[in-house]
Amino acid sequence: MGRETAGRFLLAFLVASYFLAMLLSGGVDRFLSEQYTMTAILRVGVPDEEGTGIEGKVVALSPVREAKYRNPEEAWKEFLLTYPGLESLRGMGKNPLPGYVEIRLRPKSVSEEGIDEVRSALEPLPQVEKVLSGGAAMPRLLRMKRWANVLLWIGFALMCAVFLVILSMQEKSRAARLFPEVSFLADRGVPEGRIAAKRTAGAFVTGGVLILLATACSGGALYFLSLRFRLLRVGVGPAQELLDARFALPVVLFLLSATVVQGLLSLAGWRSAFSKGR
Amino acid sequence: MIEAFRVGVVSRGRTLWEGITLAVGDGEIWVGTGPSSCGKTTLMQILRGEREPDFGDVVVAGESLYRGSPGHNLRFRASSGVVPESFPGSAGKTVEEMFVLSALAAGGVGVAERKGRMEELLSMVGLSGAQAEAVSSLSASERARAALAVELFRGPRYLFLDMLLANAGKEWEERLGALLRALGREERTIVMMERHLPEKWVGMTISAPLNAEPFTFHRLGGGTSAERKAEGDPMPPGGRLPMEGGAD
Repeated sequence: MGRETAGRFLLAFLVASYFLAMLLSGGVDRFLSEQYTMTAILRVGVPDEEGTGIEGKVVALSPVREAKYRNPEEAWKEFLLTYPGLESLRGMGKNPLPGYVEIRLRPKSVSEEGIDEVRSALEPLPQVEKVLSGGAAMPRLLRMKRWANVLLWIGFALMCAVFLVILSMQEKSRAARLFPEVSFLADRGVPEGRIAAKRTAGAFVTGGVLILLATACSGGALYFLSLRFRLLRVGVGPAQELLDARFALPVVLFLLSATVVQGLLSLAGWRSAFSKGR
Repeated sequence: MIEAFRVGVVSRGRTLWEGITLAVGDGEIWVGTGPSSCGKTTLMQILRGEREPDFGDVVVAGESLYRGSPGHNLRFRASSGVVPESFPGSAGKTVEEMFVLSALAAGGVGVAERKGRMEELLSMVGLSGAQAEAVSSLSASERARAALAVELFRGPRYLFLDMLLANAGKEWEERLGALLRALGREERTIVMMERHLPEKWVGMTISAPLNAEPFTFHRLGGGTSAERKAEGDPMPPGGRLPMEGGAD
């Protein structure tokens, strides 16, 4: 019994970890949003105040997570860091590079619609020379992103299916093991329905507690691992975000459905063992 | 009162027996005897409401166990105890855990009360201190007596005992006879199935055996209040069992 519960907890922990990681990361959305940047190149001669103003406007756009204005001097320093030895390009002390605004989108907004929204907000501005957003490669990249997300969710569905199969096998064997006791009670006039209802109610409570503990542990594990491993932080995101209100509903639905499923599987296992026993 | 009317059973396409008629009054003790594999357990199951007969009917308190309401059958089973030929298997269960199960069937009994009554009942059947023993580690005789104690825990009004004497062994015939008669005095109705009526019990019968092929039914005396009066039994109705606290 103890080993069975430990096995069930481990499975629930894995499923919950997968679910929380998917919820936080949105599949590959978070990773892509860390890697992908849009750049609004400003015209030469746009003053710093206007560049900063544009940065503020961009940040206010809903798809944008972060925007950073770099003035021409900063742009020149970055250029020299990347291409050392090209100082001679700055003839007569004049900086040939314009300022620019580097834009990072929210994970959910790395999409054609999100990119278009930012472009259409920036392109009409007279200070903006052009907006770089990945060009022709972007649609293919976004298509790949969608497929990768679908595959990851299929992985989650498969994991849930494995969890369900193992759970139903456990419940059937539990019910078969309990059958002598249950038939002892049934033989002595305790209604079968009452026994089944009590057992199912018990399974609801223990199943609920188990999935709650497993989810809490997986949240904690994600938190500590993301502190330690940068890759996890970049790919999945900071675990403390799980406390955001926007995740409350999916987490509650996950806990509820896992609890209900455990209760129903217990009832089904019990019914099957009892009908065989009769 | 349990009344069986022309009860019969078909097994593997042939009639095993039919036309069994029996009336067991409240507080009466009946022992049905018959050869091996003649269907004693089946008859007991039929009388208890567990298995519908292929012919005839069983009526308890004026209502059929099989054609009446399911609630009537359930209530009858709740008010009856059964000691099967082999103690309910529950691998790894201790005697105490069987009492817990019995308490559950009785609708719940407090821990202190359960422990007290369990010790009393176990000592009555010669199993003092056996509560921690695994059922599987007990001998056939001990199992039969433990099963009886577990059933008596619920205080059933009707008691069905399948091969209790055969399993408990000869040395327990006399003591169990006294215990069952004492239960009869408490207005409990007892139906037993055995291969033979023990010699020591023949003197306890109060009427001529009732023959109903392949069974013979013997009625033991000392159960009903009329019989008690006739025997000059001083035990008041509802009094404590004489063997309580000192069977061994």
